[in-house]
Amino acid sequence: MDMSFTPEETAFRDEIRAFLKAELDPALARKVRLHHDLTKAEMEGWHAKLQSRGWLAGNWPKEFGGAGWTAIQRHIFEEESARAHAPRIVPFGIAMLGPVLQKFGSKEQQDHWLPRILNGDDWWCQGYSEPGAGSDLAGLRCEARRDGDHYVVNGQKTWTTLGQHANMIFCLVRTSTEGKKQEGISFLLIDMETPGVTVRPIVLLDGAAEVNEVWFDNVRVPAANLVGTENEGWTYAKYLLTHERTNIAGVGFATAALDNLKRVARAQIHRGKPLSEDPAFAADMASVEIELMAMSTTNLRMLSAAAQGQAPGIESSMLKIKGTQIRQRLDALTRRAYGGQAMALPQGGNEGPEDADEALAATATWLNNRKLSIYGGSNEIQRSIIAGAMAKG
Amino acid sequence: MDFQLSDDHRMLQDSLRGVLARHSGDGLAPALAELGIPEALLTEAEGGFDGSGAAVALIFEELGRAGAPSTPVAAMIGAAALAQAGHDAAVLAFADAEPGTRHDRGVAMRAEGECLTGRKTMVIGAEGAQGFLVTTADALWRVDRDAEGVEFRPYPLMDDQPGGDLILCDAPATRLGALSGHDGVLARAVLAHAAYGLGVITAAFDLTLDYLRQRKQFGQPLIAFQALAHRMADLAVEVEQARSAVVNLSGHLDAEPALRDRHLQACKVTVGRAARLLAEESVQLHGGIGMTEEYALGGIIRRLIAADTAMGDADYHLERFALAEPAFA
Repeated sequence: MDMSFTPEETAFRDEIRAFLKAELDPALARKVRLHHDLTKAEMEGWHAKLQSRGWLAGNWPKEFGGAGWTAIQRHIFEEESARAHAPRIVPFGIAMLGPVLQKFGSKEQQDHWLPRILNGDDWWCQGYSEPGAGSDLAGLRCEARRDGDHYVVNGQKTWTTLGQHANMIFCLVRTSTEGKKQEGISFLLIDMETPGVTVRPIVLLDGAAEVNEVWFDNVRVPAANLVGTENEGWTYAKYLLTHERTNIAGVGFATAALDNLKRVARAQIHRGKPLSEDPAFAADMASVEIELMAMSTTNLRMLSAAAQGQAPGIESSMLKIKGTQIRQRLDALTRRAYGGQAMALPQGGNEGPEDADEALAATATWLNNRKLSIYGGSNEIQRSIIAGAMAKG
Repeated sequence: MDFQLSDDHRMLQDSLRGVLARHSGDGLAPALAELGIPEALLTEAEGGFDGSGAAVALIFEELGRAGAPSTPVAAMIGAAALAQAGHDAAVLAFADAEPGTRHDRGVAMRAEGECLTGRKTMVIGAEGAQGFLVTTADALWRVDRDAEGVEFRPYPLMDDQPGGDLILCDAPATRLGALSGHDGVLARAVLAHAAYGLGVITAAFDLTLDYLRQRKQFGQPLIAFQALAHRMADLAVEVEQARSAVVNLSGHLDAEPALRDRHLQACKVTVGRAARLLAEESVQLHGGIGMTEEYALGGIIRRLIAADTAMGDADYHLERFALAEPAFA
């Protein structure tokens, strides 16, 4: 057993650190740390910097313009980026659609769409969930009817993250009502500029509007935008979800949140002493830090097993549950550390009163990160996946 | 990075599993001795046969999983401490816990000069031992069984092992050194206890899962009921956490003391909490049969709780971790 990173991996980490130090604007990092909404230009600017270094698509093979990193390298990049408070790479084009097109898309689709993801020509969003199809995704109803060399799309999608910035959306649509509900679903690429597409923001608990409703009213989509085969979309959707679940443990985000919590607890005064010296609070902090130490190793154990060719099974579900529990506990402790100072809410996810900025960020972060145990397959769904695998033995 | 067992360790695991499957009760100790297991806590330089964290973890996990008594752990601590202090090998029972205190040392046992006076409780492995390895507030001592002022009052412990109270009245003792001077040995002993605990945790989990898959109620196996399935999934996650904590300590056994102690404390907290959780949940998930002495779970539950308690429980180590105190000082 060898728990250490190889010299190559350590050098890689140093390289990432040096890049972040040189290229990440401290004002931007501060916005990320305080959970303020980033502008589209800020996110695109960071993508462009990474792309010019060849690091935007760590998960893509080199033949498609990616970095072709190993799972361990991706882990190192995610961890360092999170700890430096770099903007998160918007996942929809890079982490989700890209792998699907590479595996199931036509040559024409690959040649057209993949370079546009890397150079920022397209901003993709995801059209999966519907008001009546959340955890039971296969219950979706948004329909696409074939009409000559077009599909005509009618229906609604929801929870479309950052859809307000997007010009393209990849959708699961119903193309058949025959047979099992998983069998009549297709994977369709839709231009958001097409007449009949309407995007409406949904304001969340923390005042931010990062998600949207998307409405389709007789939207005509070229049949060439169908990925793979009609009615086979469920296969591609499941493949995409396995990619969505990389970095699911969120070790870097949790480590950054723990660093921040410790800093806050040292600065806050409680009974005349730093809060970090209060036995009850210190024990709470220690308990979540200890959980993170173990989870971080669970994550590496599973990455290492995957790198040696052992197929990932229920591990990603385990990491989703434990990773989100840890981050939500950290967020809760950080908010509680501020006590009465954390009562206001920044407007629209942006700056609040200047001197109370950090306390307000703690509240907004706690509120926003309630989503962690809901999205990407709720933690209850993950438990059912684990138990389902155990039942089979 | 590679978390796989080495070929040597895989062979060790195989032979150990074979021995544990063939022997139990009185026959087990000689069979383990033949494999060299009693020297497991010693490094090669001290006359042991491996001494790496990975080997300690794997040996004791197998012992715990197979339902072997934890007595060998207690005995090995004494052997390792003697070797480190440069003394001849002897079988010593580890006398650590004291009456009147959760986990403090030196409350009911005090040293004056080269003599000890006071009481130790829940001493394991005294049967056949030549003496005792006794902790005081800041030191480790050796007390011979036959020395003046030594009394031992035996009683059974909750995990069915013989134990007892050690009562010393101005008993002559040999100071082996400061606790902090033996922190390496004690860290190995904690790893052994934690890995043993992980083995028992795994046994409890496997037995419970097996039961939920076989036992039918309302025409369905219990695992098909979501309320139970989700609790089982949560247990599966915590078992992985416990395994990672043991991996972390075994990988940092020879790290600089402050870092090693953080992993030691984190390991004892994680394994202790998982052990408590498994102890409570596995009975509940079994239902009435889990309450019976006849069923195999009973002994497992008691070993789970014992694994948390030995050498400082989860609460004790959490507090020391929170206050950044060394593990043994």
